[in-house]
Amino acid sequence: MVKIYVIDNGGQWTHREWRTLRDLDVETKIVPNTISLNDLLIENIDGLVLSGGAPRICLEGNLGNCGEYLEKADFPILGICAGHHFMGRFFGGVVKPSEMPEFGKVELKILKQNKLFDGVPEKSIVWESHNDEVAKLPRAFKILAESESCRIQAMKHQNKPFYGLQFHPEVEHTEFGERIFNNFVKICGK
Amino acid sequence: MFKAEKFINETISKLKEGISGKALVAFSGGVDSTVCAALVNKAIGKQLIAVHVDTGYMRKNESKNVKKLMEKMDLNYRFIDASDEFYSALKGVLEPEKKRKIIGKKFIRIFENVAEEEKIEYLVQGTIAPDWIESGGGLRDTIKSHHNVGGLPEKMKLKLVEPLRDIYKDEVRKIARALDLHVSERQPFPGPGLAIRIIGEATPERTELVREACDIVEKEIEAAVEKGLMETPWQYFAVLLPIKSVGVQGDKRAYGNVIGIRAVQSIDAMTCAYSKIPNDVIDKISIHITNTLKEKINRVVYDVTNKPPGTVEWE
Repeated sequence: MVKIYVIDNGGQWTHREWRTLRDLDVETKIVPNTISLNDLLIENIDGLVLSGGAPRICLEGNLGNCGEYLEKADFPILGICAGHHFMGRFFGGVVKPSEMPEFGKVELKILKQNKLFDGVPEKSIVWESHNDEVAKLPRAFKILAESESCRIQAMKHQNKPFYGLQFHPEVEHTEFGERIFNNFVKICGK
Repeated sequence: MFKAEKFINETISKLKEGISGKALVAFSGGVDSTVCAALVNKAIGKQLIAVHVDTGYMRKNESKNVKKLMEKMDLNYRFIDASDEFYSALKGVLEPEKKRKIIGKKFIRIFENVAEEEKIEYLVQGTIAPDWIESGGGLRDTIKSHHNVGGLPEKMKLKLVEPLRDIYKDEVRKIARALDLHVSERQPFPGPGLAIRIIGEATPERTELVREACDIVEKEIEAAVEKGLMETPWQYFAVLLPIKSVGVQGDKRAYGNVIGIRAVQSIDAMTCAYSKIPNDVIDKISIHITNTLKEKINRVVYDVTNKPPGTVEWE
């Protein structure tokens, strides 16, 4: 059984991430973002999801110990919304308040095929809830998907299995959300 | 995948272990509390007392039907009409969070009174995941204080038992079907009831208006579903807005209230899309409401907001 934990950054949908993983028969648990990387390694996890959250971490401030995981982990990490913002900033990108925030229904356009989007059509409906966004891509990353109002909807580290998503694959109304989670589970399963 | 049978068996044995003595279940007659009552009833039988409170903010004929349901389920029960108490507690209260907290506290005090009389130590509630998620705490922002979580007073004597805390409505429905409870497909109805469907002060008079409007929305939509014109939405109801608008009724100037219609599609209430109700059905609802409520309501609007950015209920 693949073991993927969810780091709780205080998102409304943290528990939905847990539920989606559980529904995919993944061994999963919600843990606070204050847990140390060592404690995660002892549990022998195969991957990590960094949840979204109410804290706005545009220019400064930490998201618990998320920095430690991103610095040292060799397992796959999926950052969602605030988790994605933090990942962007941690690797040298810039996060800013969105000129046009997105709430609810948005059309996602995949720019670069990737294992994470296996089986997801070029255009699909996703659900959003963000005031901020990654405005400048960190150098080590490439953009995987965009929307009309947000240029960086999905990004991936070029050398590490780290993914950032602005939209929320864990909610019911994201058309191919479960598929994306399933792909992440496969990426973690190796 | 979620397995109802497994959940039922595990929960009953946990409840048998966890509850020694008598327990009280807060029974609204909705899916969550009915499933809770059925599970605890299986675990401790007649040691359980179901308490239904008519807050005065229930839907048309609802409390009467809940009474029948408690009888049908062969529960030990207490039926408490506390309408006047709730109406006076909400007098002059406009702020939605304040309404929810006052209602939550009132519920608990009523349950505590019953508990004292009956020497009960445990309070069973049908809290499900979205209730505590949206109530916030720690890092999580408070979206709204659900009466059964964020509305709980800080000091309470009863020990809380919440067997459905980690699951969502669609999973609760699966359990209800497995237990053969006919409430399994009922639309959700918030604990604070019609009080949060009246924007502004929830007076008895305004409650009557929204109660009637909600009944019309339910009847028209259910009739449309019956005819195959649309699918049953996740939730469908009326909201009474705190504004008035000018109209003309029978060649006379009208200056009445506005009703908002809300219908959404969801499986777990964590995200929702507004329902695309066919225009003919919207038409019928609108005419039915204004003709029934006459000079009180002369305008009807339809809410086209998803969640996010909206929530299902307006308060």
